[in-house]
Amino acid sequence: MRKFFLLLIVVLLAGLALAACASRKEDAPAKAVEDYLNALVAKDSDRLTTLSCSDWEDDALLELDSFQAVTTKLDGLACQQTGTDGDTALVLCKGKIVATYNNEDQELDLSVRTYQVVQQDGDWLVCGTR
Amino acid sequence: MGLLQTGASILTALLIGALTRSNWRIYLLLACSVLAVYWFQPLLPLRSFDFWLPSLSLALVILTWLITSQPGAWRLPQNIIGLSILLGLVTFIDLSRYFLPDPVLTATTPPPFIQYIIFALLVGLTLFVFTWISRRSPWAIWISILLLILILIALKNPELSLQASIFLRTLAKRSIENASFTDLRWLGFSYLAFRLIHVLRDRQTARLPELSLPEFATYVVFFPALVAGPIDRAERFAQDLRNEFTLSQDAVLLAGQRIFLGLFKKFVIADALALIALNDALATQVRTTGWMWIIVYAYAFQIYFDFSGYTDIAIGTAQLVGIKLPENFAAPYTKPNLTQFWNNWHMTLTQWFRSYFFNPFNRWMRGSKKNIPAWTMILIGQVGTMLLIGLWHGITLNFIFWGLWHGLGLFLQNRWSDFVRRRYPDVGQNPRLQPVLQIGGILLTFHFVALGWVFFALSDPTLSGLVFRKLFGM
Repeated sequence: MRKFFLLLIVVLLAGLALAACASRKEDAPAKAVEDYLNALVAKDSDRLTTLSCSDWEDDALLELDSFQAVTTKLDGLACQQTGTDGDTALVLCKGKIVATYNNEDQELDLSVRTYQVVQQDGDWLVCGTR
Repeated sequence: MGLLQTGASILTALLIGALTRSNWRIYLLLACSVLAVYWFQPLLPLRSFDFWLPSLSLALVILTWLITSQPGAWRLPQNIIGLSILLGLVTFIDLSRYFLPDPVLTATTPPPFIQYIIFALLVGLTLFVFTWISRRSPWAIWISILLLILILIALKNPELSLQASIFLRTLAKRSIENASFTDLRWLGFSYLAFRLIHVLRDRQTARLPELSLPEFATYVVFFPALVAGPIDRAERFAQDLRNEFTLSQDAVLLAGQRIFLGLFKKFVIADALALIALNDALATQVRTTGWMWIIVYAYAFQIYFDFSGYTDIAIGTAQLVGIKLPENFAAPYTKPNLTQFWNNWHMTLTQWFRSYFFNPFNRWMRGSKKNIPAWTMILIGQVGTMLLIGLWHGITLNFIFWGLWHGLGLFLQNRWSDFVRRRYPDVGQNPRLQPVLQIGGILLTFHFVALGWVFFALSDPTLSGLVFRKLFGM
């Protein structure tokens, strides 16, 4: 019994230590944007919602709706954090979204906009574009 | 459950069955089942709910075990090991957010550790208080049953689900504009709730033998039967776990045949039939009577092959670890009357309702001092049971109509059989008439069931009405 509680305390402390010491991944905002874009082209509205901040949720779903009638894929996606603006991380991506309709490709260049990413409850979420 | 998860379940069961013995088998089954609770849970638009809902499932399992077990049982070594496995794995899954680049066991990144600790403390406190109360008041079991039924109602009713989603989105500071009744898809809760209610009721009636936490938790969240049953009985399941088991070549062959049959039924036949089976879109698009009958027949066979195929996979997978799950289907479409159909369709669910609603309710009606005529009791009992089975699938008008359809059908068949037995006692003995009655009964029953699926398959009773009009050329 005592061993059980001792083990519980050890796990708790180890977990807290892990949570506190877990190195802040420097590429986490860029990874969040890549996940967001992957969810967008996969037309996965649930995942897209979980990767957007509350204020951006409607816009994200609107953007997803605009792709509903076409086949989409990502080409050469690579994102990188380029700076910060207060609590907001700014992320720039290379590559393009290829939208196909009736065998006709339309390429949307991703480098024309900068993604604003904020941290909420420990997770980085896409919260707008510039 | 997709092919990947099905394949992983089968492989896991094969490894556990082949490599482990006695206690190790129970602990490994528990561990794999706990992981499956998280892995099978689909992604939800509410962030981290693919972690919170499975965690709540496990909390309900522990709560029910604490209430139904003997005082102090949790101090026994096997129960402490079981509790350690449960807590250890859930903690591991949550901590994985810090060392895995992408979530593996959950659909999204698990919540921060501090949130998990607060959740665990709240659950621990609730368990402690509730167990303390349950040792002093028999009402605790009733409250637990009521709690499970209320959650089930909230999940099955679209309006309540929507309100719950709005409430949770507000709490999580998310947009409530996009709230939907489908936001809370709590995987396997219907089956989990029924297993827990069965255990709680059997504890009340002193029919439940003492089960260890690993046995109990494995029974409730056993990974082959987690998503769609069958609904086993706890004492039978625990007996299989306690029996010595060695995976023989014959057992692998038998289980393999069953799994292969299930995969074929579910992923080949049912998926192919799904292309032409009745749905909301086809109900409005199909114009001719002939095609309408074809899509209704296709739905009748699709739902059978899908569900019975899944059951075959579950039964076969369970056989690999020495568990003999109960049968759920026994050629239901070949039965000559509706009573026999229901004795052979989703058998474990109908048995559950018989045990925990129909029989007690009938006993109560017979025991009550009001002189209720026999036919009224049959009508109330059968319509009530089928209505509840309908509501278990969803608290919407279409399922209510489906329940009423079958409840009234069972009542009419009962009255008709009674009438024929009294009026023509020898009709069943006539050798020339027997095959005609048998085949006629099968065709009539099948068509009655197939027409019932029109309510079940469509989301709106108005659409069902439209389909009925087209089916009969009106």
